[in-house]
Amino acid sequence: VANEALADLWAGIALPVHRRARPRRFAGLAPLAPYFMLLPAGIMLLGISLYPLLYSIRVSLQRFSFEQPIDVGLLNYRLLLHDSLFWSSLRVTVTFTIGAVALETVLGLSLALLMSRETQLFRRLRMVYVLPMIIAPVVVGIVWRLLYSADVGAVPFLASVVGVHDFNILGSPTLALPGVVLLDVWEWTPFMFLVLLAGIQSLPTEPFEAARVDGARPVQLFLTIMLPMLRPILLVALLVRTMDAFTIFDQIFVLTRGGPGISTEVISLYAYKTAFKFSQIGYAAAIVFCMVVFLGIVSVSFIALLRRNPAER
Amino acid sequence: MTRRALGYPVLALAALFALFPIYWMVITALKSTREIFTSPPTFWPAHPSLANFESLFHFNYMGLYLRNSVIVVTVSVGIALVIGSLAAYALARFQVFHRSNEPLSFGILAVRMIPPIVIVVPIYLSVQRLGLLNSYGGLMLVYSATNLPFVIWMMRSFFEEIPVDLEEAAMADGASRLSAFRTVALPLAAPGLVATSIFSVIVTYNEFIYALVITSTPKAETVPVGASTLIGKISVDFGPLAAAGVIAMIPIVIFALAAQRHLIRGLTMGALK
Repeated sequence: VANEALADLWAGIALPVHRRARPRRFAGLAPLAPYFMLLPAGIMLLGISLYPLLYSIRVSLQRFSFEQPIDVGLLNYRLLLHDSLFWSSLRVTVTFTIGAVALETVLGLSLALLMSRETQLFRRLRMVYVLPMIIAPVVVGIVWRLLYSADVGAVPFLASVVGVHDFNILGSPTLALPGVVLLDVWEWTPFMFLVLLAGIQSLPTEPFEAARVDGARPVQLFLTIMLPMLRPILLVALLVRTMDAFTIFDQIFVLTRGGPGISTEVISLYAYKTAFKFSQIGYAAAIVFCMVVFLGIVSVSFIALLRRNPAER
Repeated sequence: MTRRALGYPVLALAALFALFPIYWMVITALKSTREIFTSPPTFWPAHPSLANFESLFHFNYMGLYLRNSVIVVTVSVGIALVIGSLAAYALARFQVFHRSNEPLSFGILAVRMIPPIVIVVPIYLSVQRLGLLNSYGGLMLVYSATNLPFVIWMMRSFFEEIPVDLEEAAMADGASRLSAFRTVALPLAAPGLVATSIFSVIVTYNEFIYALVITSTPKAETVPVGASTLIGKISVDFGPLAAAGVIAMIPIVIFALAAQRHLIRGLTMGALK
């Protein structure tokens, strides 16, 4: 039966259109053909989304260290509540995310405003700005490791020129996290900049001309006209960056591996170590589930903000 | 006027900020070990040499890493392109759901937004159960799946730009749906296919965390994982590390230069559409 159904499906795809009753109707032709075309992709997509997420939730309710799993109910989550490493990693991640995304937004927006007219020059320099975000995150980590390193780095040397000696960023619990923020700013400001530049360049010019005729100052133009019009695209860019920064892993793995101490141990690194270094798969799944919940809340609130029309407020 | 006066210096400064860190890595790779540790540091290598690169291939497995990366990236992007284009075509040309395909497209975008760290544990367990740990097969399976959402999203927008009439004409002449797809739609979407594959290649070549957990020896380790193994617990060999960074970077830079026109569309995908 299954084979016959398959043959029917193929016939549906292969049937010449003029033999059909309604030759010009695409949607009416072989109603199952599109599903057949979607099937392999659908299976693979479910295989890397719904299935791992559900499986992860199940594992998070188990004590699971690569041996026979034992159901333990909500034990992992209860342990999480009192796990100071978990709360510390959450604090580090949130601090990092807010710091990096805020700086990237301010810098990206400023650059986009400055460059919105310089299209010629921009086109020539575009590859230069794009470079940091297309090279591998691991390479970004290597680049900054070489810059920061106390023995060989350019940054400690430049600091000593300014009069700050023994500027050991990677060895200092207070400086390491700002160091990671700077790395992220370097890597991802271009993204904010490109998205906002495209947004600014796609805005209609009439409202600005009208306001200018009415005597509006540039700052007023920016705050009352441009910013509200940019709002949707700004929110989407913020959402993308927030989710990305919240799950940063590669760069920190290479740059500090969470150190010194746990001063740069972000939540994804903590989850990775828990699963693959300490073999506590169930516990790691619980950590990851908390991340999913957090990210879900963030995306839903961004989407709610997007849906709300500012004009109706 | 003030804007213009301010614009150029800021632009130049931003370019310097973007380029200097990469420049520093490149010159570190070209320095001798002794020169790397001189104080004050040199900003131009006194005796540029490729010794660090040679040591990577002689005393390390960089050659293997590169081969693994090339094989895994080529096959998995190829699979993703075939399966993804079919799905994209279906979404672009058919009414899959009652009212619109938008919920499905949104779902595909949502899958793309899932961060790897969130699903890496169950994926590791699945690959383990399939007996594909530390093998090309495991990496290819994961990478062809993770590339799909992007391929579908991009190819769908390219297919939608092709007028339906052309395929209808072919089918009126007796071509089947599948051959209309193959002989009409696919060639017309070829530029899109190229752009999509270039971007997928960059993303896959750069991928780290899946490769880190799935592979364990130079038999299957990819370039980013291989480069990260150069960072020891106690000491770091800065010369070879910098050289590894340069080697990991070069293919991407070449690819990006080749695809400049399409790159921005891919990089800002989701935010602009």
